Amino acid sequence: MERINKFKLVLWIILGIALAAGITRFIFGLGATTNLSDTTPWGFWIGFDVMGGVALAAGGFVIAAFNYIFGRKEFHSISRAAILTAFLGYVAVVIGLLFDLGLPWNIWHMIIFWNPHSPLFEVGWCVMLYLTVLFLEFMPVVLERFPNLHLLSKIHKVLTKIRIPLVVLGIMLSTLHQSSLGSLFLTMPYRLHPLWWSPILPVIFFVSAICLGLMMVIVENMTSSYLYKREFEENILGKLSRIAVYLLLFYLVLRFGDIIIRGAGIFLFQASWGTYLFWLELALTVFIPLIIFIIPKLRKQPNFLYLGALSGVFGIVLNRLNVGGLTHLTNLTKSGSFYFPSWLELSISAGVVSLAMLAFFYFIENYSVWDEKPKDIDSEPLTVPKFNTNYVYLGPTKTANRVKFSFAFVIAFGLAFALISGKHIYSKGFDKTPVYKARGGDTLLIDGNRNGYGVMFPHKFHGDSIKIACGKCHHLNKPKDKNTQCFECHNDMYLTGDAFRHDWHTSAQGANLNCFECHKHNVNKGEEFRGNMAAITKLCLKCHNDLFPADVKVKILKTYVTLSYTDAMHKLCINCHKERLAADSLLRKSKPGLALCSNCHPKPAQYSAEHKLFTKQNVNKWVVVPPRLK
Amino acid sequence: MKAILTDITKCIGCTQCVSACKVINKLPPDKPREWQKNDGLSARNWTSVLFKDEYYVRKQCRHCIEPACAAACPVGALHKTDFGAVIYDSNKCLGCRYCMMACPYGIPRYDWDSAVPYVRKCIMCYENINNGVIDQPACTKACPTGATIFGEREDLLIEARKRIKNEPDKYLDTIYGEKEAGGTNVLYLTSKDCPLDFLFYYNNRIEKGVKLLGEPAFNQPYPPLTKKAMNSVPFAFVGMGAVMSGLYWIVKRRQKLEKENKGAEDGKNQ
Ligand code: SF4
Ligand code: SF4
Ligand code: SF4
Repeated sequence: MERINKFKLVLWIILGIALAAGITRFIFGLGATTNLSDTTPWGFWIGFDVMGGVALAAGGFVIAAFNYIFGRKEFHSISRAAILTAFLGYVAVVIGLLFDLGLPWNIWHMIIFWNPHSPLFEVGWCVMLYLTVLFLEFMPVVLERFPNLHLLSKIHKVLTKIRIPLVVLGIMLSTLHQSSLGSLFLTMPYRLHPLWWSPILPVIFFVSAICLGLMMVIVENMTSSYLYKREFEENILGKLSRIAVYLLLFYLVLRFGDIIIRGAGIFLFQASWGTYLFWLELALTVFIPLIIFIIPKLRKQPNFLYLGALSGVFGIVLNRLNVGGLTHLTNLTKSGSFYFPSWLELSISAGVVSLAMLAFFYFIENYSVWDEKPKDIDSEPLTVPKFNTNYVYLGPTKTANRVKFSFAFVIAFGLAFALISGKHIYSKGFDKTPVYKARGGDTLLIDGNRNGYGVMFPHKFHGDSIKIACGKCHHLNKPKDKNTQCFECHNDMYLTGDAFRHDWHTSAQGANLNCFECHKHNVNKGEEFRGNMAAITKLCLKCHNDLFPADVKVKILKTYVTLSYTDAMHKLCINCHKERLAADSLLRKSKPGLALCSNCHPKPAQYSAEHKLFTKQNVNKWVVVPPRLK
Repeated sequence: MKAILTDITKCIGCTQCVSACKVINKLPPDKPREWQKNDGLSARNWTSVLFKDEYYVRKQCRHCIEPACAAACPVGALHKTDFGAVIYDSNKCLGCRYCMMACPYGIPRYDWDSAVPYVRKCIMCYENINNGVIDQPACTKACPTGATIFGEREDLLIEARKRIKNEPDKYLDTIYGEKEAGGTNVLYLTSKDCPLDFLFYYNNRIEKGVKLLGEPAFNQPYPPLTKKAMNSVPFAFVGMGAVMSGLYWIVKRRQKLEKENKGAEDGKNQ
């Protein structure tokens, strides 16, 4: 198989996987398929597909400017490929964006609902318009293949005539949105790391986009030449790399000048993740390419030239990722959750890139994008089919390749689809808070009002002696998995309480269950229901299956009555105090009054006036405001 | 403009406001996400009560006077009403989540588990108050201790100052939301032991302790940051066009002259 066909096979496989991932994304939504979260709402798709993609496609306008405006005709031979790359790049950006947007079918809303002060609005419009311009710029290449069709050739003529205005318009639009992508982040000065946030972010983005455009043209040209086994235009690429040197130097001065003038220089030498990322980014973007491009010996070697350009491309894409999310406050500090793209996100991005590449190859092979068409890669002499065990004749090479590609695509799609685990998708990102903290504990120290004074809670006693199932206290769905406090069951000062919150289980704000999720079907209310509670009711364990240690037998009580708060406290505390006193002679000496009332109920004067000890709260029956010692 | 004043020292953490908000806005039961541990807000929890230094802090959208979220939204799905609330129009939204990135308090949340997701945040019960269903937000109404109250912003500021003046030992001498980011319509009073700086990205910033050039000050609203850049867009557009056309003209002319010169020389040589 030819090099290019092997490569295409890989692309088709990636595309198959991406299709599976893409379908999953639209069925299950963003939360189930991506690692995006409320603290990192923008991720790889914005950083790479959109911001990286737009920057990668900058080659189009840069080369067009050199070729048509500055009259450097030597770039003519690569300008068509550069424009094609830009066009496909922008198509890829839009496709990537469709995956990222929550409501992609509303993307056209930007046309009718205006908020011209929003940088994103401006980016959206410019991308739309520039895509049209690129389409018109590239159209002649397609149209010239049909010289006999009258209408098409007429359009062709018109388009060639307005080429220069189109190129100028393209440059104007590119200037705007390449820089406006930077303006997007102006509004988050404290979210971004200080090494990246700057009032001149738009300028930095614009300059880096031009650098990237140049280097991307080198990479794209050398890659496709390699794949099609074609001589690459060494002297043109050399010229580009020399222009890149000046731009990279300018970029370097701009970045460091900006950092130092702003006073962010102190962050340059810190042992922190942000600083490491910065130096990695700069090494890739500036230092490696500069060294290679400046030293003629290195520059003249294709391998090194390629390495330099590729490093620059990676560096500036890393810059977009850094600005887009990697260096954000929410990612670097505890105030958020660390973000790394999920494999579904990565495969969709890879798929979009593959699609663009396949389209690129299609145009290269079928239209005169290059000065000379690549020799027909599929035109091998027709071989006589050999039928033996390890060779199946799939037709002439061209057909055979198509069969192979489709086969790879379908298999990859099927496998990927099968491998996306439904269970993982459904449960992704949800907090599993198994209630196990007090599991098996005998006596726990509980400091319910967090005033530093704890209460010994006879945990085992509640479970073993008075036979309360764990679920009664540990299932009330409190924030941060806090345990149920004593007074929530022992709920009024002198009244008995109810430990199972039936209303919570049935209410829409609570567990939102209907009757028959716990109680048997077809049981009439009334006598049958009342007398038969245990028989017709599901065990708590059936739903709260991580609630109990395996060896505990849950007993359903006929009632859920608990002691009153006062009774519970008094019975438990006083008994324990007495026991301690009896057991500990030291304690008898130091705290003789440990079992007396006054030990817990000191004189009212010791409390602040408004917090009388154990005043009954009228407003909210089940909350007792704990008194504070002065 | 209407506003909400929350007095942290009075909050007992009963989360009645949370359930009231859920009832009035018909929010489904919560499915806690992993990152929600930070503050408990989610698409289904528009307000939450955090436990912080022995105090309970209610978190909700701050209804900034100059909201960064509304300035960021490309289609104007979020906008500031005269009433004071920053409200959301789900019919316009395209789900770009720029608002979530732009908010300096990290407030807006997303319906991550839905295939048709919307941005969710407190809307100060705008619809219901406007339609006369209720006369004040459900959360302030539900609060049993009056820790969170609703009223005209000016009145609440006066009330807050009065409280600070009456009990200077208890209260921190700051009204959170009075000035930060251009001022907000949700104000906080807090105890001396529990500063609320952590709510605002400005105070969590990586460059804490250093003032960098060009960064907005504590009091400065955020929308002007992008507005400035956006205002220069037409100039950049026209300027670039003019420069490019000019260059094209010059280059063309030079080439033409060169050709003519060459032609003339050729003519002489003949
Ligand atoms: S707090 Fe955030 S979401 Fe609320 S109005 Fe301000 S910027 Fe918008
Ligand atoms: S997600 Fe919706 S509301 Fe938020 S900025 Fe984008 S379009 Fe506007
Ligand atoms: S004002 Fe309304 S929407 Fe906002 S938190 Fe209170 S109840 Fe919820």
